[in-house]
Amino acid sequence: MSSRGSLVLVLHAHLPFVNHPQDSAFLEENWFFEAVVETYVPLISCLERLAAEGIRPGVTISVSPTLGAMLENEALEKKLALYVESRLELIEKELERLQGDPVMQRTASYYRDLYESAAEMLHKYSGDLITPLKALQHAGQIEIITTSATHAVLPLLARPEAVRAQLSVAAEDYLDRFNRKAPGFWLPECAYDPRLSSYLKLSGYNYTFTETHAIAGRGDRNPNGVYSPYRTTSGLGLFARDSESSREVWSSQSGYPGDPAYREFYRDLGYDGDYEYVRPYLGADGNRRPLGLKYHRITGSGSDLSSKLPYDPEAALARAAEHASDFLARRLRQADEVYSSRGIRPLIVSCYDAELFGHWWFEGPAFLEAVIRKIRQERLPLQFVTPSEYLNSCQEPEEVTPAISSWGEKGYFDPWVNESNDYIYPAVYAATDKMIETANRFRNQDLNSLAQRALNQAGRETLLSQSSDWPFLLYIGSHADYARGRVSDHAANALKLLSEVAERNVDERLLSELEKKNNIFPRLDFRVFASVSRF
Amino acid sequence: MEQLALTLPAEDTLVLLPKNPGTFFAFWRFSSGKEEAFLSSAFAPEVELRVFRSEDKSVFFQHRVFWRAGRAYLPVPERGGACEAVLYALRNGEWERLLDSNQAAAPESADRCDDRARASMEFMKGGSHEL
Repeated sequence: MSSRGSLVLVLHAHLPFVNHPQDSAFLEENWFFEAVVETYVPLISCLERLAAEGIRPGVTISVSPTLGAMLENEALEKKLALYVESRLELIEKELERLQGDPVMQRTASYYRDLYESAAEMLHKYSGDLITPLKALQHAGQIEIITTSATHAVLPLLARPEAVRAQLSVAAEDYLDRFNRKAPGFWLPECAYDPRLSSYLKLSGYNYTFTETHAIAGRGDRNPNGVYSPYRTTSGLGLFARDSESSREVWSSQSGYPGDPAYREFYRDLGYDGDYEYVRPYLGADGNRRPLGLKYHRITGSGSDLSSKLPYDPEAALARAAEHASDFLARRLRQADEVYSSRGIRPLIVSCYDAELFGHWWFEGPAFLEAVIRKIRQERLPLQFVTPSEYLNSCQEPEEVTPAISSWGEKGYFDPWVNESNDYIYPAVYAATDKMIETANRFRNQDLNSLAQRALNQAGRETLLSQSSDWPFLLYIGSHADYARGRVSDHAANALKLLSEVAERNVDERLLSELEKKNNIFPRLDFRVFASVSRF
Repeated sequence: MEQLALTLPAEDTLVLLPKNPGTFFAFWRFSSGKEEAFLSSAFAPEVELRVFRSEDKSVFFQHRVFWRAGRAYLPVPERGGACEAVLYALRNGEWERLLDSNQAAAPESADRCDDRARASMEFMKGGSHEL
């Protein structure tokens, strides 16, 4: 059956690098544990299941280098195993507590399956979830791409050396992790500016993605709109996000995730449970916080948390299947409309944060699996393709000059530069500028091992200070003290190490501590920050 | 004004960053020599930021601000484009050029980009949560 349109589905998986080996438990490390159990394991299971049934998923997954490093971090893997074990212990208690309430008990039983699946997969792959992703890519089932080294919003890095470092460290990291060259690059926050095209191409990437209005928001300059790939003057392939399919999934108001049958995110046993009962699972400070066991459904957009009705996993999964059918029907209509109005078989590019599926939208992985499965089972004239496949088979894309843009609120850089977070930039730039200056000074010198180590660690600290996550957390007022502390610590660490190298007085004890804690990018060479005469 | 608990090296820096089609963000720091000149009143306390188009060097905005403010939001030319900023200080009645910024590309305003669903922000609204 000939296809009436092609779909590129991109899942961008990213978490900031959070690793506190000196603490037996650290609150912000739970971000990683929750995402593994609720998102990464369910998505990998779904992809493996489809592949085993001969249904090629054909999705594109961006694995950020920071997330990749955490997925391979042995200390975090051990803590993750303890986290899963602790949740399973709590779930067993819940199954007993809920004996008189079969509806809630069914949900608890569903959670037992979820956490047991996580435990099984972690056991199967010795705790390293990069392994199944690599295997899926190797088998041609999916395409894996990367993003900037620490998820810096690149248009906010004014120094070319800093952009180059973010791109080339990411390229090297991908090569080490996946044993091949990264085919494409996810721009953090879809943030694009004109400098990036040549930088990306020179760093070896073949394509990237932009927000809709980078291509389509400025009138009729690009007649195919977002429905074709493009290329820049540097030869970089460009795919623009389709806002229509994005809205159906992203919007918490009008999108699928707001359906009354779906699990309510904000009501959680950590808040509802008897304090003494949940206390052992709350963390060292004893503050109430989510435990991931949520027994209610959204019920209605206007209903407050206390009036939410019990969650029914089976009804929610049935709804996810209906939404998958609706999503595909809309894509077929969209494809026909584009064909009627523009005379092309469209390429529809749908990009989402991976953590939306499972963590935020609990039924998201089931929705995705149903979407992929239905195309095959119902013989729908749509096909999932990876960007590389599409570029290899389509006509030479037209050349465009995309506009500056991002997928953040209001479409530019407001979430990362505003009065709630702008005070971090002097520190980020102080570290970055000193790093560049020092790299230029020492790039051709013979250095002893200690100085080399200190400069390499300063490079890691500089990159970590540039993460988009810190200003974003400050903007939304979530974990603000932690975010502020991270920027401050990384900038201070970089400046201290650089100053010690310049004074030939490196504190080896401190250096070793930092190497153990911020142990990302083991092969980083500080010279990646050096200036080049022409880039 | 919020600050990080961190002492930064005293070095001359002026950075211009894009924020949105209407606004640049600028921040600056001074070397100890220049800071001393402000503290000793050799420079007047108000500095002037001038933003100009890189293409033709035409200044389209001037903004006066206390030297220690360290940051300011500045407008963008109507059609976007590459811009730069220069920071001047007044000494003995004459404007003296102290700091030059990087070149920053100002976004061009796009139609209909404000009404889209925006990444995870949609799920960050309201309620307490983790992640």
